[in-house]
Amino acid sequence: MDKTVKINLGGSLFQIDEDAYRILRDYLQAIDTRLRNVAGAAETLEDIELRIAEIFLSQKITAGIISRENVEAMMSIIGKPEDFETDEDETVPPPFSREGQRLYRNPDDSIIGGVCGGIGAFLNTDPVWFRILFIVTALFFGIGFFVYLGLWIALPSAPAGTSRRDMYGRKRSSSSGYVPSRNTQGTYAGSNIGNAFNEVFRALGRVFFIIVRVFLVIIGVSFVMTGFLAMVTFVMVFFFRYPGYFSTEAFGLNFFYLPDFLSYIVSPAVAPWIIVLLSLAIILPLLALIYWGVRMIFWFRARDGVIGLICLVLWVISIAALSLILFNEGVSFAETSKTSSVEIIEDAPQKLYIVCDNSIDELRFDKDISVPDENYRLYFRDDDKNLYVNTQFSISTSNDSSLRIEIRKRSAGRSKSDARKKTETLIYNYTISGDSILIDEYFTIPEDSKWSCDNVGVILQIPTGTIVQFDTVSENMFRPNFYFNRDFDSKTIYSSGKTWIMTDEGLKRSAN
Amino acid sequence: MDLENTKAQMRKGILEYCILSVLSKNSCYASDIIRELKEAKVIVVEGTLYPLLTRQKNAGLLSYRWEESQQGPPRKYYELTAEGINYLKDLDKSWGELVESVKLIRSK
Repeated sequence: MDKTVKINLGGSLFQIDEDAYRILRDYLQAIDTRLRNVAGAAETLEDIELRIAEIFLSQKITAGIISRENVEAMMSIIGKPEDFETDEDETVPPPFSREGQRLYRNPDDSIIGGVCGGIGAFLNTDPVWFRILFIVTALFFGIGFFVYLGLWIALPSAPAGTSRRDMYGRKRSSSSGYVPSRNTQGTYAGSNIGNAFNEVFRALGRVFFIIVRVFLVIIGVSFVMTGFLAMVTFVMVFFFRYPGYFSTEAFGLNFFYLPDFLSYIVSPAVAPWIIVLLSLAIILPLLALIYWGVRMIFWFRARDGVIGLICLVLWVISIAALSLILFNEGVSFAETSKTSSVEIIEDAPQKLYIVCDNSIDELRFDKDISVPDENYRLYFRDDDKNLYVNTQFSISTSNDSSLRIEIRKRSAGRSKSDARKKTETLIYNYTISGDSILIDEYFTIPEDSKWSCDNVGVILQIPTGTIVQFDTVSENMFRPNFYFNRDFDSKTIYSSGKTWIMTDEGLKRSAN
Repeated sequence: MDLENTKAQMRKGILEYCILSVLSKNSCYASDIIRELKEAKVIVVEGTLYPLLTRQKNAGLLSYRWEESQQGPPRKYYELTAEGINYLKDLDKSWGELVESVKLIRSK
């Protein structure tokens, strides 16, 4: 008597002739292969199995054993797999494929992310070896850890159906027990030692996974908060000029007036470009930071590669364009030129009054910017487009009996002649009336003329023996000079309205 | 040119439409659909049908319910969903257009 095999087909038990069983098995495997690239293959195969069971049940079966004839009759009804007219034959083989297998993460056999399980299924090897390999290599500068993390992100999880079958290779059957060799043929054969290891790894893996998740959530939250706050700060400061409660005096520069300042220091045409490019250069990384934070918190996968790439390219372009523009603008400060004009008053008065004519206080400026490390301050007014800058003052002894007033102007430009022309546009006013010199505390860069490191210095050379008196403001204007006076006395400096006398060694407090 | 292949391609093109049309009359067991399709000679072997049914079901055009059978395993009874009905209406229209197109070309 021939050997028979018991099989379970679509929930029904059948006894089948061994010969017929072999044909049936090959037939089902052929269908499985045929449907390899068809979506929902597993379900389709189940439907077909149900149908086969039904056909068998409707057939005339001798002695309760399904014979070769029964199987062949069934096959003629269902048809040869190559005659199945599905229109999905031309599917391109997926990446990481090896003889119809794909490398996936295996959710059926996972401890952390199923990476090792997937590799094991792909290479038909016990995943425990890859687990050991990853842990050992993780001890060397964390190589294994990072490779694992990379694979975890890069490899898709094997979904049910086609892919999962692809993971094991085409030989694996889809369901039910009609192929007794399923456990050895499809997936790996687990050893006892391997199982013990796997149990330990599984427990360690869970703990590790939770720690990593908590860690990622913390990092994610801090990313999101940092990015968000930085963005709010940037937008408020740059677009709404709202200083808020934080200090805007970074390195002595109130950077929140930068957009206003910008239109004075660069060509008017490029100022908006600089703002836009600068915004992109700052906001894009912040958005990326927020996005990564959100991803870390919620741990989702997204098809963001293209958008990310576009953003990166955009960012690089804006940085490059910004550098180019700023370089080009920087060139306009390449050369400096100085001009100086001296007025000589030969019959100098015996008593000289130095009076401030127009003070910065009276300017009623709306904004000011101080340039770091220099006694240099720029003042803006909303009423006009002029730029006002404080002037430098110094006072020294004249080497003859005449009084000299020297005005030194300095500007930068693309060329020497450019810079020289620029100095001529700077406006500085002073008047001499009788025994008084009326000087302004600031000079003016007129509208339509941009700032280019302009500087105006006023040097008074006063003959020896002249009595000098300041008013409150002018005394402050000349105050830096007092520091270099040899008989510096802190008490005298802060007493305005006092009388000074010019000596060979500079100004000294007068006796009366 | 392989005549059989061309014919198979043409059948493939209309098979989904035929399945939906069969189901538009009443809900059917796979065998009923096969019988009708075989009668109309649009299908050669049963195996062709199953992948298509699965696909249409996954696309939301069909739904099914299990029904016990007097003999053998439970059967899947397929029926059109609302989406399937709309889809079929569109196919009806485009089939009419196709027929008109072919007619027009052949009459010239």
